[in-house]
Amino acid sequence: MTDDILMDIKRDYVLSRIRAGERIDGRKFDEFRPISVQTGIIEKAEGSALVKLGNTQVVVGVKMQIGEPFPDTPDRGIIITNAELVPLASPTFEPGPPDENSIELARVVDRGIRESEAINLEKLCIEEGEQVWMVFIDIHALDDDGNLMDASAMAAIAALMNTVVPAERFEVGEDFPLPVQDLPISITSLVVDDKLLVDPCRDEMSVGSNLMTITSDREGRVVAMQKSGSYLLPEEKFYELLELSVAKAREIREAVESQIAKGGRNGEDEES
Amino acid sequence: MEKPKLIVDGKRLDGRGFEELRPIKIEAGVLKRADGSCYLEMGKNKIIAAVYGPREVHPRHLQDPSKAVIRYRYNMAPFSVEERKKPGPDRRSVEISKVSREALEPVIMKELFPRSGIDVFVEVLQADAGTRTACLNAASVALIDAGVAMRGMITAVAVAKVDGQLVLDPMKEEDNYGEADVPIAFLIRNGRIEAIALLQMDGRLTLEETRRAIELAKKGVMQIYKLQREAIMRKYMREGEDYEGSAEAAEVAKELSENEGGSEKEGGQSEQEVKE
Amino acid sequence: MRKIVMPGDLIARNPRAAGYGTYVEKGKVYAKFLGLLDKTDTCVRVIPLKGRYIPSPGDVVIGIVREVTANGWVVDIYSPYTAFLPVSEYPENALKNRKVNEVLDIGDAIIGKVLNIDPKMKVTLTMKDRVCKPVRVGRVVAINPARVPRVIGKKGSMIKLLKSELGIQIIVGQNGLIWLNGDRRKVSIAEEAIYIIEEEAHTEGLTDRITEFIKKKKGELENGEA
Repeated sequence: MTDDILMDIKRDYVLSRIRAGERIDGRKFDEFRPISVQTGIIEKAEGSALVKLGNTQVVVGVKMQIGEPFPDTPDRGIIITNAELVPLASPTFEPGPPDENSIELARVVDRGIRESEAINLEKLCIEEGEQVWMVFIDIHALDDDGNLMDASAMAAIAALMNTVVPAERFEVGEDFPLPVQDLPISITSLVVDDKLLVDPCRDEMSVGSNLMTITSDREGRVVAMQKSGSYLLPEEKFYELLELSVAKAREIREAVESQIAKGGRNGEDEES
Repeated sequence: MEKPKLIVDGKRLDGRGFEELRPIKIEAGVLKRADGSCYLEMGKNKIIAAVYGPREVHPRHLQDPSKAVIRYRYNMAPFSVEERKKPGPDRRSVEISKVSREALEPVIMKELFPRSGIDVFVEVLQADAGTRTACLNAASVALIDAGVAMRGMITAVAVAKVDGQLVLDPMKEEDNYGEADVPIAFLIRNGRIEAIALLQMDGRLTLEETRRAIELAKKGVMQIYKLQREAIMRKYMREGEDYEGSAEAAEVAKELSENEGGSEKEGGQSEQEVKE
Repeated sequence: MRKIVMPGDLIARNPRAAGYGTYVEKGKVYAKFLGLLDKTDTCVRVIPLKGRYIPSPGDVVIGIVREVTANGWVVDIYSPYTAFLPVSEYPENALKNRKVNEVLDIGDAIIGKVLNIDPKMKVTLTMKDRVCKPVRVGRVVAINPARVPRVIGKKGSMIKLLKSELGIQIIVGQNGLIWLNGDRRKVSIAEEAIYIIEEEAHTEGLTDRITEFIKKKKGELENGEA
């Protein structure tokens, strides 16, 4: 892992800047990197989005199939979220079956979508107990320059908002847009000493991977939380993170919405 | 399936109050082969935890020259749930193993045992909601039972929101039909809650409810912490009797061995004889 | 009766008193692992009740050769860390131009001494001490390393008792391995006694009971012979 040595070398520099109250890329502690969202970039997918968060790039594709509902929810569609950290995206990613990091990524993104009820699953029932739509959300990392979590969550919801249910192809009626009714936004912060760095980039992660992700819905309710990384989080820091994340999510949600509004099919790369 | 009413006349389905834990039973040192172990029941959850190590890590490339490598394996037995669970790790257990390991890592003094490994294996024999927190409670006792150096105790509990009400330590029905679930673990040192070691959440909570959930969890873990300590005390109580400390013992052992070394000089002849 | 302490228990407020088994944070002394509290005015320490053997320089240990290399032996010392015994730390007169594996081969047991430990826990053994020798006779028994002090007893009283009553040789390795040599049947009695001590060292009047036990077993031996 040749990346490791670079991380070691950068650690002291990054830390000294943070302690001096600065971030290495000049951002404020609560500032996101520029966000760009392009939707409909994969024609073969029912919905898709490419999100750039600074240099971090993630593609999410949505595919749909008809399947049997779960016995305990016979009148509801099914969400299946998967993430692949392909070796192309980072020198530290290895080929092979999903490791704990990709599983965690997929499950935290899934929770945000599921718990905010972003998709109206009742409208994805074709025949109760027999046939429902299955929504496959596949997260494909392209370039990991830090905070794949938030980039993936944004790409996932953008792709869902762009999804058309292929009812005609499956001969069960007319195509219709996927019923999306919320826009959950996850905010991931890096905890360094008593500082909170929103949307950490890869170099900042050289000081450690003490992360906290808090996802909230349009109403400002918390829908998912995940402490990730081997560290102890002081309780008062958590309350600070909670306020910060929900407030920040409002701002990011607006940015994502305006990007989606102008970033239709073949939308040009318009970095904010 | 219809969602049942989870709170009737201010009581939960199993008769508990909102801030009441399920009955808990903890026993330390239940396995012979493991360096440390613990059996724990929390309601219908039945958990067994084992700790091995610090021990040599194989293969070698997994070793860390500066500290011990911690491994945590959360595993559900196929018979632990209503519908048989396919054996082996699924995505859920991989994630639980990761966040649980990350809760223990900053508490175990890994730097004291470079190149070694400490394995924590937790088996869920019967599951009834809140298994990840129950497992961490068992793992923590097993680690202490193994004599592993740590900064304090890890104690965990879940808080749920059911029928609009925050409740401590949800059981299966409350977990299935609840509006939110917050598993949380704290580092407790000398009877004081020091920090959050694990925190996850899914569902829907307002900011205010989230804060209250944490407060409720804190009440719960203090009770569990007491039971964890009692379990260890029960096993080791008899050991409190005075006996010579290890430092003197090392010297005495050397002294005694010196004598043996001397007598062996004379016995050297017989050693040869035995060999031939 | 000593107090049992657990990791994180506050045991002193004077950082200068912090001894073995403790750690200091913000001027307070906490227990590091499960153990018995040993507190005096000048020093507070924790005597471990459980745990693997972690080598310390000067410790007498018993180990088994696991690997033979050109310049020494890799020795399993019943610890998270294997030890290395370099040829240069074997008494020269005993080498006698023999090949390394003729001096000690895989599976051979030795009584050695921990010479040093580097910061990465590479443990080096020496055999250049009169205590040290290859174990070619007798028997090795294993107990939990944290219980070694019990087997030794106050000022060595327990070991002395076993030796004098049974007339056998005993060397206690700090790593929980104990070498016994002498009359095969008496070694068996000692082995049994050691397991009893390991289990029951905390009870009152143990010395008396061990004395009783040995007398009884010796009696059985003599009767059997008669």
